[in-house]
Amino acid sequence: MKFQHMFKRTAKRTVQSLKKTEVPKGLLRKCNECRSAVFAEEVKENYYICPHCRNYFRIHARRRVEMLADEGSFEEWDGQVVSGNPLGFRGYEEKIALLQDKTGLSEAVLTGKICIKGMPAVIGVCDGRFLMASMGEAVGEKITRAVERAAEERLPVILYACSGGARMQEGIVSLMQMAKTAAAIKRHSDAGLLYISVLTDPTMGGVTASFAMLGDIILAEPNALIGFAGPRVIEQTIGQKLPKGFQRAEFLLEHGFIDEIVERKEQRDTLARLLKMHQMPFETADTDFGDALPIECPFSQMDAWEHVQLARAKDRPGGRDYISRIFTDFFEMHGDRCFGDDRAVTGGIALFEGVPVTVIAQEKGHGTKENMLHNFGMASPEGYRKALRLMKQAEKFARPVICFVDTPGAFCGMEAEERGQGAAIARNLYEMSALKVPILSIVIGEGGSGGALALAAADEVWMMEHAVYSVLSPEGFASILWKDSKRAKEAAGVMKLTALDLKKLGVIERIISEEDGFSEKNMEKTVNTLRLRFREFLKKYLPMEKESLTSRRYQRFRMM
Amino acid sequence: MIQKLLIANRGEIAVRIIRACREMGIETVAVYSEADKESLHAQLADEAICIGPGPSSESYLNMERIMSAAMLSGADAIHPGFGFLSENGKFAALCEKCGITFVGPDAAVMENLGNKQTARNTMASAGVPVIPGTDHPVLDAERGRADALEIGYPVIIKAALGGGGKGMRTAWNPQEFHLAFLTAQKEAQMAFGDGTMYIEHYVEHPRHIEFQILADSFGNVIHLGERDCSIQRNHQKMIEESPSKALSDSLRERMGEAAVKAAKAAHYVNAGTIEFLLEKNGHFYFMEMNTRIQVEHPVTEWVTGIDLVKEQIRIASGESLEIKQEDVKLLGHAIECRINAENPKKHFRPCPGTITELHLPGGKGIRVDTDIYPGYTIPPYYDSMIAKLIVHGKNREEAVAKMQSALGEVIIEGIDTNVDYQFEIVNEARYKSGDFDIGFLEMQERDS
Repeated sequence: MKFQHMFKRTAKRTVQSLKKTEVPKGLLRKCNECRSAVFAEEVKENYYICPHCRNYFRIHARRRVEMLADEGSFEEWDGQVVSGNPLGFRGYEEKIALLQDKTGLSEAVLTGKICIKGMPAVIGVCDGRFLMASMGEAVGEKITRAVERAAEERLPVILYACSGGARMQEGIVSLMQMAKTAAAIKRHSDAGLLYISVLTDPTMGGVTASFAMLGDIILAEPNALIGFAGPRVIEQTIGQKLPKGFQRAEFLLEHGFIDEIVERKEQRDTLARLLKMHQMPFETADTDFGDALPIECPFSQMDAWEHVQLARAKDRPGGRDYISRIFTDFFEMHGDRCFGDDRAVTGGIALFEGVPVTVIAQEKGHGTKENMLHNFGMASPEGYRKALRLMKQAEKFARPVICFVDTPGAFCGMEAEERGQGAAIARNLYEMSALKVPILSIVIGEGGSGGALALAAADEVWMMEHAVYSVLSPEGFASILWKDSKRAKEAAGVMKLTALDLKKLGVIERIISEEDGFSEKNMEKTVNTLRLRFREFLKKYLPMEKESLTSRRYQRFRMM
Repeated sequence: MIQKLLIANRGEIAVRIIRACREMGIETVAVYSEADKESLHAQLADEAICIGPGPSSESYLNMERIMSAAMLSGADAIHPGFGFLSENGKFAALCEKCGITFVGPDAAVMENLGNKQTARNTMASAGVPVIPGTDHPVLDAERGRADALEIGYPVIIKAALGGGGKGMRTAWNPQEFHLAFLTAQKEAQMAFGDGTMYIEHYVEHPRHIEFQILADSFGNVIHLGERDCSIQRNHQKMIEESPSKALSDSLRERMGEAAVKAAKAAHYVNAGTIEFLLEKNGHFYFMEMNTRIQVEHPVTEWVTGIDLVKEQIRIASGESLEIKQEDVKLLGHAIECRINAENPKKHFRPCPGTITELHLPGGKGIRVDTDIYPGYTIPPYYDSMIAKLIVHGKNREEAVAKMQSALGEVIIEGIDTNVDYQFEIVNEARYKSGDFDIGFLEMQERDS
């Protein structure tokens, strides 16, 4: 400050104590993340998110229900369930009484039935004010009862987890709640019903290790701390500082444990959408696909190598290009629930002309940046495991599966071998052979070897006109047989890898013709053809009995 | 009387307010951002508190931090200046809740006047002439199209919560309406988070005439004459003067009465400005009321001899107006030129940077309100206005001559400014003649 002390004062110093102004109580609150003061009112209006740093404040259970439920639709269940004091822990009962008084809740979870945009569901919401929503007998009991009743009434369940874990004051009884809630959810799931778990900050310990991680769909709030062991415990045990972002929702997404991170203001819409997509068993979906027009097209005469080059062209439509044009309401689900989320495979649930389908696509991406992100379409074991997880989910909810195949081959790398690339592919072939819903696979670009087959053990396999499908890349083929990968062009000629060749061989059922100048920007006509063919497929396979469907699929490969 | 005033602003207006306080014996508290450590206002004030990083959203627009500074320093009042939080009803309400005097009108009054639709309705029912326009919120283009036909083309489409020319488009005929509406609405949505639009008759070739008013909490309202702010670029004022050549004494009287009526209808207290559009035929229409001190207030100060900032502070302290309407006389002619750190040759791109050499004019009838000094670095975060040059002469001719001379004397090195651009304007024959409207600069740019 250049001149600060050079300017002369003209005003007398005021006496501070004359009038002390103060901020009225409750007007401001502090954000724990950015430490700044924020207006309580503004935070409330903004879904309890800090207007400065976007940090999520924790929400009381009733407030949360208000944010989700259609007005007046919430009906509380088991409001009187309270914990005993199994250990005779001193002062425990008084503490509970105090918290009941403060929160207006009987225990740390609020359960009941709500409607979200007209869709009924059973909901459970943990309240962190109540001993950090630790799971004691009453919490376990309330959740179990809610899930049991949901199974009886054939309703989906949504549980908002927020918990420090087991309730120490209740000792081993608290531990048993993990098994109890998990078992109730298993029964609910076996009844073919949907369970959506929403993880909020913090979801730890015995809650993570029980109901929180068992959702058919697991959502999380941004930056929520989610884990089994607490970060401090881990740091003390291993004697290391944990990296930033460890055990946060984004970390879990990357590591394959949650399907999606959903902003608070989007949650009501997202839940409603998911509930709607799972509303009715697929068999009863009342959709008339009409009669498809037979489309005949002359297929181009090119040599095999030209096909290979077209199949690999940079501007060739990738999986996402098809998904966004053919389906609506695509909801992407991430992760294999074991190790990671492989971006080489995109999967999720979408609507095809109003009918829910599970869509899985191998994805190369456009441009170098995206290519890197998607590992050039070379899937890792976690990619195949994600695909299988989604297929099993489709089976549970009786949705057909549509796969888009486009890969040079499964990823060849040390990490892939360490995590069992071969085993992952084998497991897909094994499970797909008996999956009780229709499976359609379309080779849209490169169908490279086992990496492609792991998404193509289907009822029907189709190929785009210029796609190729082979046991190995022509380069690999030439180098194995002739020790010279430069003879790829020659190899392509003898491999019988074009759509026409494969149709003749009986490996595929259908060829989809491509319009002139077919590319990611120019694919409308071709997409229309595909839509017609999809209708035909669904019309044929949807009514089939599970038994005949799987035995037909068995025979399809049995004949080869 | 207010004892310790926090100035929730920066730049020349903060300096201007601090100066008024220094004369009144009021202690001052400046707030400043990390980018404004070296700024004059932070140094001239008796105390200065840093309230956060450079971007306004984290400092001068952060109510919580400004309020904390007020608490910490024991200030009993806050002057918001112009821009930033000056017309934020929420901030005024917050001051009220915390028991701090806000130098400006009540929060509710401010919010009503800030909403163009409510303001217009208030004025229309008080008998203040308003431009024919919609009296309901317009959210979709189809509805708007029907409204526009009823109002009569050309029409202007504006954001209900807008200002500063954002979310504003003109449609000359029904064919143009659709695109104009959608563009304006999109802009409004992005700038103000609200796509509520408002459509009105577009007054062709009007002058921008505004009336300064003062209102105390005892119901006394006076006006201090007009300012002609027709020299605008992209809806931003460049040169202002008082009185306006376009007003006869009787028109001044009528418009002044309307301004007083408007302030009374809004239950306004403190200094405020009623903006009118004046058509060539002498019709005038209420545009909006600015509920703060204006950038161009010095021209009024000079022709009336009244210190507006001091009056603001007195009114906020609960004192009654000492001046009566009949005491207000407009003496001579005053002109203000805004000097901005921007490059007119590069689409008026802002040019922050360090001032290496500085010479500012002085002498009889010359006033410079600024916060710059040699060696000062203009931060990139804020408005580009760095100084106001105000002159006063016994008549318009003398004032224009003074402005020509004074602008010609300004030397600001190290950054680009619009001084030469302004110098050219005041030497234009049409400007000198005083016969212009708000299309003046646009036409000037088209011709050159």
